[in-house]
Amino acid sequence: MFEAPLGFFVGFYEVLRSEYALHLCVLLGIYLILAQSFNLVFGVGGLFNLAHVATYAIGAYTTALLSTELNVGVFQCLLASALLSGLLALIIGAISLRLATDYFAIGSLAFSAVVSALLINWRSLTRGVLGIPGIPRPEWGGIDFNGVQNFLYFVIVVTLLCLGAMWILFRSSFARSLKAAAQSDVAAQSLGRDVARLRIWAFFISSAFAGIAGGLFAYYLNYIDPSSFSLTEMVLVLTIVVVGRPGSFWGVAAATLLLVVLLPEGLRFLPLEPSVLGPLRQFLHALLLFIVVYMNRARLFPVERMV
Amino acid sequence: MSIEKEAAAFLEVKHLAFSIRGAPILNGISFAVKAGETVGIIGPNGSGKTTLFNCLSGFNRVPTGVLFFRGEDIGPLGPSQRALKGVGRVFQNPGIFREMTLLENMITALEGRQPLLSTFFPWSSTHAANRTEALRYLGEVGLEGKANQKASSLSGGQMRLLEITRTLAFGADLFLLDEPTAGVSPKMKEEVAHLVQQLRTLGKTVLVIEHDIQFIQRFCDRILVLDVGQVVMDGDPKSVRENPRLQEIYFGGQTGAAGQAN
Repeated sequence: MFEAPLGFFVGFYEVLRSEYALHLCVLLGIYLILAQSFNLVFGVGGLFNLAHVATYAIGAYTTALLSTELNVGVFQCLLASALLSGLLALIIGAISLRLATDYFAIGSLAFSAVVSALLINWRSLTRGVLGIPGIPRPEWGGIDFNGVQNFLYFVIVVTLLCLGAMWILFRSSFARSLKAAAQSDVAAQSLGRDVARLRIWAFFISSAFAGIAGGLFAYYLNYIDPSSFSLTEMVLVLTIVVVGRPGSFWGVAAATLLLVVLLPEGLRFLPLEPSVLGPLRQFLHALLLFIVVYMNRARLFPVERMV
Repeated sequence: MSIEKEAAAFLEVKHLAFSIRGAPILNGISFAVKAGETVGIIGPNGSGKTTLFNCLSGFNRVPTGVLFFRGEDIGPLGPSQRALKGVGRVFQNPGIFREMTLLENMITALEGRQPLLSTFFPWSSTHAANRTEALRYLGEVGLEGKANQKASSLSGGQMRLLEITRTLAFGADLFLLDEPTAGVSPKMKEEVAHLVQQLRTLGKTVLVIEHDIQFIQRFCDRILVLDVGQVVMDGDPKSVRENPRLQEIYFGGQTGAAGQAN
């Protein structure tokens, strides 16, 4: 009598335990950090930073190079990834944050193009399009994170730490100041906020988290090349945050689950050729982005920008 | 004696000149405001009223002239530094944080002078105290019931009330109110006037730009009339209103033209 549902649950459990499900969980963790950190700078701070994936790339390459070339330990690698990505953000910020809203987006896009070009052409360091293979899975205190399951535990711990820190950050007075500055630059200054400094800090913190996500990504795939950090990736991150409602912590978390796991996996069940599925997924992302932007156009593109 | 000297130097503007792309907007304005005074600023469109406020609050970099606030030269300071010194700006286009609730708007103001670490964590005691304080401020202007609504849901007049109260909560001593009753319903206009009078009883110094001289003469000690970037009249409301030059400035060159306009 109980055999049929039991069989279902056993099957479900088997799927959950399968390597593939673990793979999805790891990916979800990495994208949660990446999307939530973009949510901080774009959703809360209102800064249309199109260089976010570029800082993610810097994080990935930092961990990849340090662990392959210099055998640096896992925590030092992730810390270096965070700091170097943050540093890049400071350079981008110092130059582009002087630009007003829309021009800032263009400035950050230019920087992201520069980073892409560097990854491809600085061959002596990055091996160009060949990428960096053989990135070892981390090891710490006798625990080997080589297996997917052990690595998943590692990702879960890092993800929870990062998301916990960002959850507090989203509710902090820092986020309130940032939000205020996004809605009325001049009013925030009239309440004593140094808006430029506030934004530089937001930019630094957000990019540092993106750097950690990049480090995890490099560890997980054991191999990275410039194609993982293209503009398409930036569009995916942007879609996640816009669909989840910019500034909303849980909304963006849910959107990450939807767009990184549920939507692509759901499509797999359709009787379609793989050559059709890929473009279809991108088409659905674009459609979803369009619908959400259209529904929220008044809020996403405020009309008033005056003194 | 010393108190009087300090009072005289609360805000001192000397030979303030400002131009935008070579076109002069302010032509060497000079005036002084005593602590606790409420001063109305009137003048035709383009006479430099808002530009003057932008110069005072630091949004316009001042090329020439001297600005003393409480005896200190604030000319080199940026807008946020001047705000921390006590210069409070209330904008013509309401500078409220529209997508934040009224409560968040107020808390943001209260946090402005508190050390970051004391307010950073959502569970900090300072944050809890700020919530109570924010509600008290909202209660004083009758907006307590809307504390958890988004500020964008307010009417124009309520937005003005919120912004002035927010500036008060931040701890401003000098209020620069740029047309606080423009586009506000007559009933709300009274409430705004009431709030401005309250600022006065709290000992705050207020500069208010307003077109309606009948309206501001009720609560202003003094009225400055600006024309082509200069102070052309400075006196008590009655003498300014009765001065025939006022008609001239508002309604064009000749008195004949002014007569027609009336």
